[in-house]
Amino acid sequence: MLKIKVKKGHNINIAGVASREILAPQKNNTVSLSPENFRYIKPKLLVKENDVVKLGDPIFFDKLSPAVKWPAIASGKISKIIYGDRRAIKEIIFSVDASLESKDSNVEQKKLSNKDDIINYLLEKNMWPFITQRPFNKVADPSDNPKSIIVSLANTAPLSVDYNFTLSSNKDTIISALENLKKLTEGKLFVAVNPGEFDYLSDLDFVDVVQVEGPHPAGNVGVILNNISPINSKDIVWTVQGHHLPILGKLFSDGIFDPSITINLSGPVVNSPSYFKSRIGASLESYCKGSLSIDQVRIISGDVLTGKESMMNGYLGFYHSSISVIEESFDRSFIGWLHPGGSSKYSIFNAYFGNNKSPYNFTTLQNGSHRAFVPIEAWEKVFPMDIYINALLRSIESNDFEEMEKLGIYECDEEDVALCSFVCPSKTDVGAIIRKGLDTVYFDQ
Amino acid sequence: MNFLKKILAESGKLFEKGKPLSFAYPLWEATDTILLSTNSQNKSGPHIRDNMDIKRTMFFVVIALIPCYLFGAYNIGYLHSAAMGISSSILSDFIFGMTYVLPILIVTFIAGAICEITFAVIRKHEINEGFLVSCALIPLTMPPDIPLWQLFIGTSFGIIIGKEIFGGVGTNVFNPALTARAFMYFAFPTKISGEKVWAVGPDGYTGATALSIPANPTEYDTATNLFNQVTQFDFSTLNLFWGLIPGSIGETNKLLVLLGGLFLIYCGIASWRIMIASVLGLVFTAGLFNLLADYSTNAMLTITPLQHILIGSFLFGTVFMASEPVTSTHTNKGRWIYGFMIGMLTVIIRSINPAYPEGVMLAILIMNMFAPLIDYYIVKSNINMRLSRNA
Repeated sequence: MLKIKVKKGHNINIAGVASREILAPQKNNTVSLSPENFRYIKPKLLVKENDVVKLGDPIFFDKLSPAVKWPAIASGKISKIIYGDRRAIKEIIFSVDASLESKDSNVEQKKLSNKDDIINYLLEKNMWPFITQRPFNKVADPSDNPKSIIVSLANTAPLSVDYNFTLSSNKDTIISALENLKKLTEGKLFVAVNPGEFDYLSDLDFVDVVQVEGPHPAGNVGVILNNISPINSKDIVWTVQGHHLPILGKLFSDGIFDPSITINLSGPVVNSPSYFKSRIGASLESYCKGSLSIDQVRIISGDVLTGKESMMNGYLGFYHSSISVIEESFDRSFIGWLHPGGSSKYSIFNAYFGNNKSPYNFTTLQNGSHRAFVPIEAWEKVFPMDIYINALLRSIESNDFEEMEKLGIYECDEEDVALCSFVCPSKTDVGAIIRKGLDTVYFDQ
Repeated sequence: MNFLKKILAESGKLFEKGKPLSFAYPLWEATDTILLSTNSQNKSGPHIRDNMDIKRTMFFVVIALIPCYLFGAYNIGYLHSAAMGISSSILSDFIFGMTYVLPILIVTFIAGAICEITFAVIRKHEINEGFLVSCALIPLTMPPDIPLWQLFIGTSFGIIIGKEIFGGVGTNVFNPALTARAFMYFAFPTKISGEKVWAVGPDGYTGATALSIPANPTEYDTATNLFNQVTQFDFSTLNLFWGLIPGSIGETNKLLVLLGGLFLIYCGIASWRIMIASVLGLVFTAGLFNLLADYSTNAMLTITPLQHILIGSFLFGTVFMASEPVTSTHTNKGRWIYGFMIGMLTVIIRSINPAYPEGVMLAILIMNMFAPLIDYYIVKSNINMRLSRNA
C-alpha cells in the first residue's frame, strides 16, 4: 500500500454538512443529460423530441470521435431538447417512465477478457463517457493507451459525498468494476482511500491502494498523481468518478445500466442536509423545493469550490454527486475591511479574532474587490503539488505554450487550484486561468 | 446605512461607462469600497471565498507601523530636550515630535495619492491600497528635519518610477518606498546623510548615528570600545535596542519593529522566511568579518553580529521593506536566498564601503533587482526536474 501525506491545503469549515442518513428516494419525473458537461466534444443527436428511448440507448455521439456515444440515462419519452446559441445542444430532458425501466433488467453475462473486449463492450453499451482522462479532464479517447488508471474514493472537497458511507453496500459491484478497469491499462490501477476505509481493496492483487491523509485537495486525482506517478507530457491517465464504480460494476457483471447514485444535499441554507438515493442527471427541484431556509439562494450542482451554478429547475451534472446550496448575498457592510472578526468572518489568515472556530455560513460574496495580484504566500499554503503555480499562471497569461508544458500544465486541473482562488486576497480566479491554459494547449495539439 | 448605500448607488451611476464622470471611475470605486464592503459576487469557480482581501492586508501593514510612528515622535522630542538641556515630560516630548512627524506624513500621503489616483485614472486600473503602505513607510525612513518640498519630490519619484511606470502594484520591480528614499539620498545628500540631520537641536547641532561612530573613528579601536567612548548618546546594547538614539524617524526602537514583524508573520502577511534568512545572512557575514578584523584597521569589521542587528535600519528594512511581497522573490526557496543575500550585502556595504555607512537600503534595492533572476533559476530547476522525468 502506498501512503501519501499532504501537508498543504485546507479543509473549509462550512456549515450544512449532510447528516449520515439516507432518505427515501425522491420522485424524479424528469432527468437531464447535458452535452455541456463534456469538454471538447461536438455532439450530434441520434434522437428527436418525443422519441421513446430505453435506458442505455444511444442519444448523441461525438462528431470528433464517432465511436463514442452517450447513453439514455432514463427510460421514457424525450420530452424536450433545449438549444443554446448557434443551436448548440444545451440539454436533453427525459420524462422518466418507471414501468419501462423495470422491464429492462435482463441479466446477461459476458466474458470480457482483454482491453479491446472491454472497450468495445463499453462503446457498444454507450457507456464510454464514464471514463475520463487527465490531462484536460475530458472524456477519454478509446484508442489511447493509458499509463495508469486512478479512482479516488477519498473525497476531501467541502460538502462532497462521503464514499465510505454512500458506497458501503456496493462491495461486489466495486470489485467487479475495478477488476475490469485494470484490464484497460498495462500500468497500475490506483485507488485512493482515506485511512481505515475500504479495507477489502488491499486484498485485491490488481489494485494499488493509495492511502491519502491530509486536508483538501489531498483527495483530488491530480494531487495524488502528482505525488505518486506524475503525468509527463504525452502521458494519459484514465479516471472514473467513485460513485460511478457501482454503475460500471453492474454493467460488467450483469449487463445492466442502473443509473442510481447516492447524492447529498448540503450547505448552510439547507434545513436538514442529508443523503438521498438518486440518479444521474436528477432534477434539483425535487430535492431543493421546500428544504431551503431562505429564498435568495445559489443552487450548485457539485461542490462549492468547483461545482456549476444551476437553478431550481436545473439538473445534476453528469459527473456530479452533490447539490450544494448557499445564500446569494448582496449585503454590504459599513467599512467591512475594518471588521474585528468573530463568527461572521472566515479566513485562513490570522486576520480576524477567533475565526474558523464554528461551521461558517458562506455566501456567494467575493469578500473584497478584485485587485492586482500580490504574492503573499497565500496560494502556496493550499497548493500541494510540486508546481510553481505563480510562474505557470504567468506563462498562461503570456500565452507561452512551451513554458506552460515545462511548468506542468498537464498535471493541473481547475479543481486542484480551486482553493488557491478561495484564499487569494486579490480575488484572482486561478481555476479559470488554468482552464484557459489547458484549452490553449489542447487546441494547439 | 441605507441612506449611504443609496447615495453610493446613485452616485455610482454617474461614473459608469459613457457617463460624463466615467474617467474618474477608479476614484469612485475606491471611495465606494472603503465605505461599504463590496457586494461583488463569485461568478464561477469557487462559489465561496475567504474574507481576507487586499484592503485588509495593506491596512494590517499600516497597523504594524503605527507604534513606530508613536515612538518616533517621542524620540524626536526626547533627543531635542536632551540637546537643549531641558527636562520635559513624555507627553510634551511626544507633542514636540508630532509637530515634525505630522507634516511629513501629510505631505507624503498627498504626493502619493496624487500619483496613484492620476495613474489609476489614466491607466484605468483600480486604485490599489498598496500605495497606502508605501506612503506610510516613507516618513519612517526620513530624518526629522527633511525639507517638505524634497519629500514631495522624492515620494512622487518613488511612486512613479518605483511602481507606476512598471504597471502599478503587482508588477513593480523596486520597492517604491525605498526608491523614494534612495532618490532623495542621492539627490539631496545634505539633508538625509551626515551628522547634522538625525536629531533636532539648536542650530549647528550635530548628532552622529551609531553607525557612523565606527565608520569615522578618530583613532582605531573596536566598535564596542568606540560606542562606550561616546558621551553624547547612550550607545549601550540595551539602549540601541530601546532606541532613544538619533536615526530615521521610525527605525530606532527595535522592540516595536520586532513586534510589528511578529504581528505580520502571525497574520500570514509577511514572509518569515525572508526575515529569518536576512538575519542569518547578516550574522554569518558579520561573524566572518569579525574573524578578519585583526588583519585590518577598519573598525567596522569589529562590529559584532548583535550590534549589526541593533544599529542602523537593518531590522526595520528587513521586516517592512525586504519582505514586501511584490518586489521580493516569489518562490519559497528563493525567499531564503533573497533574504540571506540582503543580510550579507548589508554588512558588506556597511563595512567595506566608506561612502555609505547604512547598507540596508541599497542591499534591498540590489536584491529587488536580482529577485526575478533568483526565481528564474529556481523555476528552471523545477523545469529540469520535469524534463528529466520525461526523458
